[in-house]
Parts: sequence; structure tokens; C-alpha cells
Amino acid sequence: MTEATSETVELTITRIFDAPRELVFRCMLEPEHLTHFWGPTGVSTPIDKINIDPRPGGAFETVMVNDATGEEYATHGVFVEIVAPERIVWTEPDMGITNASTFIDLGDGRTEVRILQSNLPVEFTSDEAQAGFQSSLDRFAAYLTTL
Amino acid sequence: MTITDTGLDATFAALADPTRRAILARLAQGEATVNELAEPFDLTLQSISKHIKVLEHCGLVSRGRHAQFRPCRLEPRALDGAVEWIEESRRLWTERFDQLARHLHDIQRPTKEPHHD
Repeated sequence: MTEATSETVELTITRIFDAPRELVFRCMLEPEHLTHFWGPTGVSTPIDKINIDPRPGGAFETVMVNDATGEEYATHGVFVEIVAPERIVWTEPDMGITNASTFIDLGDGRTEVRILQSNLPVEFTSDEAQAGFQSSLDRFAAYLTTL
Repeated sequence: MTITDTGLDATFAALADPTRRAILARLAQGEATVNELAEPFDLTLQSISKHIKVLEHCGLVSRGRHAQFRPCRLEPRALDGAVEWIEESRRLWTERFDQLARHLHDIQRPTKEPHHD
């Protein structure tokens, strides 16, 4: 309780998609899909600059290009775990970030995707850690609105 | 994105603890002494002092110079970097998911016109 070092700060983003789980899962791993959505607004991710080697230890690399300035932003990820069509975990060592994405079949043709982003080594992104989805940051964000 | 920033790491580590967040929430209402901060918690003054030192270390809390009480004060600007990182990550994934939803819509209805919001 008095030591901060063993605790975790996580960010969770959840979205429900009107598509079957297998398809949503493939969208997260296949360049021909990723190129359509990976860059945020105003940023493109050219298909020839996406390098995916979908296995533990394999590369997950992209180059995002700012549409207005041409500025490039390369990401260098490494897959940690791939369980089709349920779960993809990758780390970005440069950023000190681990992303764990979980794909949940809602049974009505829709799929819920949860991204758990944490600034922690991968060994901390256990199922137990993920169960704590009311993350510190969510509570912190709620606190911020009271300021 | 400055997640590897040492200062930001210290801020996140400080914020990860529920007692320390509660202390910050109390200080958001105004200055308080260590004794006042300890009141709602079932913790020793020594333990509360340790938490306050962590918050001081990352700049979230400052101590007054009054020799006797040294009240604690919230320094909300120290949160700026952490808030920025959280907001940036949320924005990135929100926009990504918006586009993925459109893409899924398009590829599942290939004979219709692409959907644009």
C-alpha cells in the first residue's frame, strides 16, 4: 500500500462493432484492413508500410503519415500473444507500452473489442490485471472532472 | 506522447495508489495539514506522511513553510502531462475505432456505396 512501484496504471478503451468476431479479429492483423483505420483522423497508414508477422515475437510495425504535412511516425511493436479470434497482445518497447486487445463475441453478430493499454512490462498484463477494468485511470479521470 | 518521461512515470506511479488519489481529492477542496489528511483514513500519521512525500516528489503536492503545520497544497499543473497522455491515447483509439466501424460497414456491404459519417 505504501509502495507505488508494484501498482499499475491502465487505460481501457471499449467498442462494440456490428461485425462477426472472426472478421474484427482479422482487421487487427491484416494490412489490407489496417490501412483503412490505423491512422487517426488526418493520418494515413500506407499498406506497403505495414509489416505484420503474426506470431509471438513477430513484428507489428507501421508508418503513419500526416496527410497535411507528410510527416511520418513509425511504430515498432512486437507481438506477445495471438489467440485467434480472441486475443492479441503486443508491446511497443520504445514507448514502454503494452496493448492487450480482447475480442468478445456478443452472440448477436456483434463483437466487443477491449483494448487495455498499460505502461507496464508485459508480465503485469495478466487476466487478473485485466479484471481490474475499473482502472486507476478511469477513477482518476472521474476525479479530474471534480477539479 | 511522453510516456517514457521519468517525471510522467513518477506521476503515474503516484496516481496508481487509491490513498494518494483520495488525498489529492481532499486537497482539491483546499489546503490541509497532515493531521487533517490522516483523519478519514485508518492509517498512521507516518504512513500518510510517506504518501505525501511521494506526491511531493512528483510535484503534485507542495508544503507550506509555516513551521508548525506546514499545510499541504495541490499543484494541479503537475497533472498536465499525465492528463495529456491519457487524452492523447483515448483520442487515438476512439478515432481508430470510428474508422474501423466504417471499414467493417463498407466491407460487409460491398454492393452499396461506402458509408461516410
